[in-house]
Amino acid sequence: MSPSVDFQGLSLAELARKTLADAAGDHPPTFPVIDASVHPRPRVDELREYLPKVWQGRRLPAGDRYYYPNPLGDSIRESFSDAGPPGSDPALASRLLFEEAGVDRAILTPLTLGLLPDGDLLAAICSATNEWLARTWLGEHNPHGRFSGTIRVTPTRPEAAVAEIEKWAGDPRFVQIGVPLQSLQLYGTSPFFPIWEAAARHNLPVLIHADAETGVELAPTPAGYLRHFLGFAAYNPINFVNHLTSFMVGGVLDRLPDLRLVFGDGGYDLCVPLMWRVDKDYRPMRPDVPWMKRLPSEYIGQHVRFIAHSMEGPDDAVLDEWLEMGGAKSTLMFGTNYPSWDFFHPSAAFAHVEPEGRERILATNAIELYGLSAREEN
Amino acid sequence: MSRHVVCRVEDLPDGAHLIVDTGGRVGVGVYNIHGEYVAVRNLCPHAGAPLCRGILSGAPVSDSPHERSWAYDGEILKCPWHGWEFKLPEGITLTDPPIKVKTFPVIVEDGMLVVDMAPAARPSPPAQATAL
Repeated sequence: MSPSVDFQGLSLAELARKTLADAAGDHPPTFPVIDASVHPRPRVDELREYLPKVWQGRRLPAGDRYYYPNPLGDSIRESFSDAGPPGSDPALASRLLFEEAGVDRAILTPLTLGLLPDGDLLAAICSATNEWLARTWLGEHNPHGRFSGTIRVTPTRPEAAVAEIEKWAGDPRFVQIGVPLQSLQLYGTSPFFPIWEAAARHNLPVLIHADAETGVELAPTPAGYLRHFLGFAAYNPINFVNHLTSFMVGGVLDRLPDLRLVFGDGGYDLCVPLMWRVDKDYRPMRPDVPWMKRLPSEYIGQHVRFIAHSMEGPDDAVLDEWLEMGGAKSTLMFGTNYPSWDFFHPSAAFAHVEPEGRERILATNAIELYGLSAREEN
Repeated sequence: MSRHVVCRVEDLPDGAHLIVDTGGRVGVGVYNIHGEYVAVRNLCPHAGAPLCRGILSGAPVSDSPHERSWAYDGEILKCPWHGWEFKLPEGITLTDPPIKVKTFPVIVEDGMLVVDMAPAARPSPPAQATAL
C-alpha cells in the first residue's frame, strides 16, 4: 500500500510537519523509560478479520478526527510507512520508540473508532481490537516483551464491557482497561459502575483517553465547537474535569478503594485548581453527598494518575514549583503519544527536573501503577 | 482558673447546652449528649465562628450514592457560619482528614457539673492524614 498523494504531488507523510527529530531534546534519560501512551492501530482490513461474521461486511468509520484535521498533520512524519496508516506497523514503532527515542517499555492503547450510535457494533470492534492486539503487537511482534496492552471496552454497553474485562483480566500482557474521554453521560453515574467495579476487582487501572470522532459524541466544549484545531487541542483534554468531579462526588472512589484512574490526554496542570475548588466547600456541603467521605484532594494521590502531555506545563523557571503543587512525583506519568503529531520525546521531557523526580515521572510511577516487573533482556 | 462550676446536673437535660464564660476569650459550650457531658470551645477551628451558637442535630450518612440514612441524632453540632459538622462528644468532623474542635472534660461533683479546663491527661486529637 503506497502512501496516498494528497496535495501538489506530496504524500501525506511529506505533508506531515512534525518529526521525531523536532521533538527530541538534549537530555536523554539515563534510566529505562516507560511510555504509558502508545496508540497502535489495526488496518481496517486487518480489523475485519477479527470481527464476527455478522459484522465483517459492514462499512466501518475511518477512526479519524475529522472535525479538526490538524494543519500540521495528525501523525509524526516517521510513523508513515507502506505497511498501512501511522500506528499500524509494529516493527516501525519498535524501531522508533525503542531504538531512536530511548523508550524501554510501552503501554499500548489502540483507539476504537470513537463512539458509535450502535453500541453493539462498538462492543464488537472493542472485542476484535483486543483479540487483534493480543495476537499481533502483544503476540508475534512482542518477542522483546516490551509491549503491554489495554483492554478496550465500550461504556455504552456495560454488560459487554464487563464480559470483555473478565475475558482478558487473567492475561498478564493486559495491564489496564481503556474507555473514551468522550461520553454522553458522566462516568461517575450509576450506569457505568459495574465496569469500574470489574476493573477494580481485577486491579486494572482505567485509562480515559480521547478517541476518534464520529458525530455521535457531545461537542468538545459545553458551548459548542471551537473553530480551529489549536483551540480544540488546547481545550479538549480539560474534559477530564467532568469525569473526575463526577467520580468523586458520585461516591465511586469511596465504594471502590482499589479503583485507579488514568487520564491519558494530560490535564495534570488543571487538576490542582480543580482540587482547590472542590475542597473549598466540601465540608459544609457534605450532608448533600454523604457517600463522599474524604476531602476531594485526598482522592487524587490514591486514585488518580495523569499522563503528561507535551503541550502543558510552565517554563523551566517555575517547573519544579508547578510539579510540587500537584504532587507530580507520585501522580504524573510519561507517554510519547506515538504516532500522534504531539510526540513527547523522552529526551525533552522534564529535562531540568531533579533526577529522582524525573525518574518517578518517566518510569517509576508507571512501573508501580501497572505492576511492571523488571524486563529480562533477550 | 482551671475549674468552672456550670450548673446542677438536673438543669442540663439530654440535648441541652449552656454557654459558659470561663474567663478566656470565647468561653465554652457545655453539652449533655445522651447522658455524656462535654465542654466545647466556643470557637470553630475553620474560621473562628462562635460554634456553640450552632444547632445540635444529626447527619445524613451513606455508603451508596442512592441511599441516605439519618445518624448521630442529637450528636452533630453544626457551625452557624459555614455548616461544618462536629460530632459530640468527640468534637471531630465526619470528614477525612478529621478536624477537631477543642473539648474539655466535664465532671460531676456533689450534684454539680464542673468543667475541667486543665485535665491532667487530655486525649490527643486524631492524627491528620499525611499530605500526599
